[in-house]
Amino acid sequence: MTPRSYSAIRLSLMAFIVTLAMPALAGDQTVGQAKKAFTVGAIKAKVGDTVTFRNDDEFAHNVFSLSDAQSFDLGSYKKGEVRSVKLTTPGVIEVECAIHPEMKMKIEVAK
Amino acid sequence: MLVLVLAAPLASAEEEILILPRDTTDAAVIRGSIAYRTYCVLCHGTSGKGDGRAAKMYTPRPANLTVSPFPDKYKELIIRGGGPAVGRSPFMPPWGDELTDEQISDLISFLREVRKMGTPAS
Repeated sequence: MTPRSYSAIRLSLMAFIVTLAMPALAGDQTVGQAKKAFTVGAIKAKVGDTVTFRNDDEFAHNVFSLSDAQSFDLGSYKKGEVRSVKLTTPGVIEVECAIHPEMKMKIEVAK
Repeated sequence: MLVLVLAAPLASAEEEILILPRDTTDAAVIRGSIAYRTYCVLCHGTSGKGDGRAAKMYTPRPANLTVSPFPDKYKELIIRGGGPAVGRSPFMPPWGDELTDEQISDLISFLREVRKMGTPAS
């Protein structure tokens, strides 16, 4: 193997490590659902961002919102499954779980 | 002293009224109404007519339970497995993991009353 090949491999490896070390893109946030609660009470995001909900419980969850800013229902889904919503409008979105009425969280969406 | 003697029979009468035997239909309907108001009212509404605060989001609209033609066994299937389990709305969640067998049975007792009365008790 030539020194040039070594350099190419080293560069590729460095690029790979840098990619791994980068935080998730600001527009992509994941919120867990565990022990009948959202893992965070509130998050901040921007229009165009995507929020993903991941079910970490043994039973089904649901995600919906009736907020004026944006209403949606991502349906019901089992353990390990995810559902995502793209944020389209600035404002505060109150997110709930239809199956567990005590589960609530907020998404503050900026322009 | 006189007051205490007079009050004693009244207290006993009140206790008899408040304690409803667990295995009666009335008790099941009351428990079912509590489960309904906790889990179902969001979509099916306080009237049971499918006009809950979330109903506007869904097509088809949540079922009008005051005119539901389905037998108890079918209602149990929908409640346990959700809409998709019986080829109905994907937005009706599966409640089999969340509700106990008794709660589901109580809900069905309550829905029977809703169908008879045309509207749930407040």
